[in-house]
Amino acid sequence: MSIAETEARQLELEGPSGLWGEAFWRLRHNKAALAGFALVATFVFVALFAPMIAPSDPRAQDLSLIREGCCPGPSASHWFGVDALGRDELSRVLYGARYSLLIGIVSVIVGLSFGIVLGALAGYMGRVVDTVIMRLMDIMLAIPGLLLAIGIVAMLGPGLFQIMIAVGVTNVPIFARLLRGSVLAQRENDFVLAARAVGVPRRRILVSHILPNAMSPVIVQGTLAMATAIIDVAGLGFLGLGPQDPSTPEWGTMLTDTVRFLQTAPHLAIIPGLAIVVSVLGFNLIGDGLREALDPKMRGRA
Amino acid sequence: MLRYVVRRLLLLIPILLGLSILVFLWIRALPGGPAQALLGERATAQSIKQIEHQYGLDKPIHIQYLRYLQRVSRLDFGDSVTTRRAVSFEIRQRFPATVELGLSAMLFAVLLGIPLGFVAAKRYGGVVDNLSLVTSLLGISIPVFFLGILLKYVFSVKLGLLPTVGRLDPLIEIDHPTKFYVLDSILAGNPTALWDSLKHLVLPAIALGSIPLAIIARITRAAVLDVQNEDYVRTARAKGLAPRVVDIRHVLRNAMLPIVTIIGLLVGFLLAGAVLTETVFAWPGLGTWLVEAIKSRNYPVLQGGILFVALIFVLVNLLVDISYAILNPRIRLS
Repeated sequence: MSIAETEARQLELEGPSGLWGEAFWRLRHNKAALAGFALVATFVFVALFAPMIAPSDPRAQDLSLIREGCCPGPSASHWFGVDALGRDELSRVLYGARYSLLIGIVSVIVGLSFGIVLGALAGYMGRVVDTVIMRLMDIMLAIPGLLLAIGIVAMLGPGLFQIMIAVGVTNVPIFARLLRGSVLAQRENDFVLAARAVGVPRRRILVSHILPNAMSPVIVQGTLAMATAIIDVAGLGFLGLGPQDPSTPEWGTMLTDTVRFLQTAPHLAIIPGLAIVVSVLGFNLIGDGLREALDPKMRGRA
Repeated sequence: MLRYVVRRLLLLIPILLGLSILVFLWIRALPGGPAQALLGERATAQSIKQIEHQYGLDKPIHIQYLRYLQRVSRLDFGDSVTTRRAVSFEIRQRFPATVELGLSAMLFAVLLGIPLGFVAAKRYGGVVDNLSLVTSLLGISIPVFFLGILLKYVFSVKLGLLPTVGRLDPLIEIDHPTKFYVLDSILAGNPTALWDSLKHLVLPAIALGSIPLAIIARITRAAVLDVQNEDYVRTARAKGLAPRVVDIRHVLRNAMLPIVTIIGLLVGFLLAGAVLTETVFAWPGLGTWLVEAIKSRNYPVLQGGILFVALIFVLVNLLVDISYAILNPRIRLS
């Protein structure tokens, strides 16, 4: 028996039923996804409780520590060392999680909300509305993601909020396309035809019947979009387009100037970078696990 | 076949038009207004009036758009605010560097990714398979610029094996007829230059190619796994064909189709990722050019650069669609 078949057999015997029950069971038994969940939980915990965990204020400078040039590495009093202006690196990395979490959430919400509305409209209304909306999405997709974000930042000016919006906007066509595909697939289902035959208004059908079923690919894409949002915003921060106040402990911005110091203070570049990798890895693991768990092809195969 | 190509070409037109409208509106949404944007910081009230008249900014908007369209179709994007040279000239200077980097990254990704994915699929569940999954996952989780920094740290700073920035040692002098340094070194018959330009190319190409590598390995693995179970492969094996022949002629060939589909996506990624990689390695391509342009509010450069990159991306996607139709008879004949 193949792996899918053994799992399906186990499912039959142990018993949760329905898409969500089965998906949750599969997820719980997927070691990689659990690891990802642990990473993300740590990330969120650090982000929420940074003010209580961090040993010092991330913006507090202590120039006496860098009297002999940049920059002292890890030591007993500063576990991650100190940056070019004498700020405690550990505190900065911990606070950086707050920015990354905020950024990820806002960008994904922006992309998700506009994307869902546009995609659902296009998929359900069809014809003219569909063509117009999809052409617009195609045009947006004609410019590679980061460059589109750069263009938006050029228009809005640099800053933390602006890069969140920019990355969010680049996510819109992706979610729109996804949802349109989902809605198109659902539209011809029997329960939809039945609802229409009874006279349920189109709007109700869309919201109460189609959307709940079209959600699973959106959830998977949402977690993966969170991962890419964190990376993209770090990238924009690295280019100097993010928060213009250099004391802001955002991970990407923290990496900008460190290239100069690779010889003397590599920890300044490596540690924030590793923080990004670990958080993004967590979201990617969960996203992959979700995708496998929700895959209808694996359901009830005996 | 021809009908398919023509249909795709016709679809191209509304997208290009839409793009031009988008960028046209974008220039007008920039802080300070389009005249200011075109002039930069040296704008005086008088020169603004002059530019407005020259670019017809005082005319109704549809006439402005038509004139803009005329200029853009001639690839006239205006002059760079900082260097006062034509933007199209600067594009021609910078583009080959980015293409050289992008091609090398793609080559790296394909040459490593396809075999990795293939072997991973053939030995499903084995060491190579798990290794490939981990590599793919890490590949998409490590930001391109961070990987660049790490590679720089290990190979340039700590081991001193490879150079840190640029395309060529400034002390080496060769002609640049093609602007592709590797090619130019070969044409000039200069092995030192060739070796040096390759050494400069290695780290940025690996950093940029990491994500395409991850994606290609994953997709190859999935595609080979799928194809392995198809009837025609079973028939080929039952016929008694040597395993290697079956692998190459049937399995690999059909597994390549999904890869061709995502090449367009990967090129888009390479164009975007180049911006970050070029910044880390001070590679003088389109990426660093665009980043400088944002910081110096050099809007003609931004406009030309973004339009140009989008054009390339759209054309590449068209080529990919056409080649996919050539490779997959089902699409061609539908």
